[in-house]
Amino acid sequence: MDDLLNNVVFIFLMATVAIVSARKFHFSSIPLLILLGVLAGPHAPHGAGFDFRLVKSTESAELFSRLGMLLLLFYLGLEFSAGRVIKSGVTILKGGTIYVTLNFLRGLGLGWLFFQSWPETLVVAGITTVSSSAIVTKILVELKRTANPETELILGIMVFEDAFMAVYLSVLSGYFLAQGTSFVVGLIAGLITVAFIFAVLGLGRFMSPYLDRWLNFRSGEPLIMVVFTLLLIMAVMAEKVGVTEAVSALLLGLVLAETSHAKRIIQLVAPLRDLFGAVFFFSFGMGIDCRQFAPVASLVLAAFGATIAGNFLAGIASAWVCGYRGRPLVNVASTLIARGEFAIIAAGLAGDSGSAGMLQPLAALYILLLSIISPVLAKKSRSIYLGLEKAWRLLSRKKTESFAG
Amino acid sequence: MGEIKEAELPGLGKKYVVRLDSGDRFTVVIYDEGNRELFYFADEEEPLCSVTLTDQEARQVGSIIGGAFYQPKLLEKLESAIAELHIEWLKIAPNAPLAGKSIGDLSLRKKYGVNIVAVIEDAEKGKKRTAAINPGPGYIFTPGQTVIAAARRDALEQFERMVSVEGG
Repeated sequence: MDDLLNNVVFIFLMATVAIVSARKFHFSSIPLLILLGVLAGPHAPHGAGFDFRLVKSTESAELFSRLGMLLLLFYLGLEFSAGRVIKSGVTILKGGTIYVTLNFLRGLGLGWLFFQSWPETLVVAGITTVSSSAIVTKILVELKRTANPETELILGIMVFEDAFMAVYLSVLSGYFLAQGTSFVVGLIAGLITVAFIFAVLGLGRFMSPYLDRWLNFRSGEPLIMVVFTLLLIMAVMAEKVGVTEAVSALLLGLVLAETSHAKRIIQLVAPLRDLFGAVFFFSFGMGIDCRQFAPVASLVLAAFGATIAGNFLAGIASAWVCGYRGRPLVNVASTLIARGEFAIIAAGLAGDSGSAGMLQPLAALYILLLSIISPVLAKKSRSIYLGLEKAWRLLSRKKTESFAG
Repeated sequence: MGEIKEAELPGLGKKYVVRLDSGDRFTVVIYDEGNRELFYFADEEEPLCSVTLTDQEARQVGSIIGGAFYQPKLLEKLESAIAELHIEWLKIAPNAPLAGKSIGDLSLRKKYGVNIVAVIEDAEKGKKRTAAINPGPGYIFTPGQTVIAAARRDALEQFERMVSVEGG
């Protein structure tokens, strides 16, 4: 049988197994995809008598995975709308800012503590700051919390996080494009990327009536063709202009989000994103040697603990500012803990830069651990709240006693 | 009338919080995928129970609640309001001014701004219950029918007088 097709069949077979079993066991699919990638990829365990290396990382696999990355970022751009962030209101703006700022600072601190060098610090911050919307929404639906009052805040914070990540990923990719130079040069490159994005956004708003007319197809077929081709052309052109293809995809998404066809494009692109996104996560796992897990284990545990603690702090603080009291505070904090797609994209952006060899296994193990613990924490938010309340009461009683004494 | 609050759930759908006159509160979440979930809240924080309906089921249940299949005998006049739009179910009285006239004769839409959504004819001996949905201008009203009309508040009040007993 044709070797090329053979390999592709194995990749999709593995990805299907991961996604179907994730659905079956109420687990999130991204960590499973990565795990299977590690276990069946070119670095899989093998020896006399057994060989788990089912999948080779071939050119076709790489192509699919790159398309997956482009589509993931394109989708992020499409769904992002500045209007939605502003419309969500002052309270969510306040809560979101507090949440993202606290988590980002915690991420930066953690990164610096681990590596003492800027590129890794920025990537670690990218990996640990933003929650996974896919996992969080799933938790909310499964725990039947969608109608709870604090859910509005949780979802608002996630819109805010997506917006933050769109900007941050472009800074990061600009920074890595100017690799090998100093921190300042890198940062300037990042900022230039951001400026470029805002310029294109402005242009996009200006162009949206023309785009509206131009993309006005009655059936979906020509629309998805044009959009997908644009995505590829942008990715090729991006290299010439000096931005990464990731940013170009994000940008195209942002521009098309301004047109009146945005909703239709989202519907058309979503299945493509699911299909190739799965391959992206899977081949992210393929790139990891499971022996690499051992040296990063302690770092992962530290990041894991810091994320949970920091998330509780940030979640409770932002919910408190938004006027929530009591149990919803803990609900907000415990639901937002899962990390996922953005962590992987951030680690993927760091890609081949020399020092980053540790970052990818770190990201993989980190989101795996968090995705196991986060549904449990969200489910147990009631007992956590009661425990916290008891601790608080004990503490304050001690204080008053010492006052009296 | 219950008080309804609408909120966006980005990435999920929309949420409608309904506070009833009795003080009870329940919430309807419409997911972007089409499912509806109904939650009943006893206290402020966690829902006591919930029900999930598919799009199809939700429409069926919705029309049952709306009275499309069976209208309670005691309540001849039902009212539902969404902002400015009022929809009423009115039974035509035996000697109502509009009985025997057609929609076009009365020029309901032009003169009064009243839209007739449907006219339901009750089942009689040997006859099945029928509904004329979106009847044309030639449709003639007869006593005993139930008219579903949509209009602004004041226009509907005017229309109500035409449907009910003259002078009464």
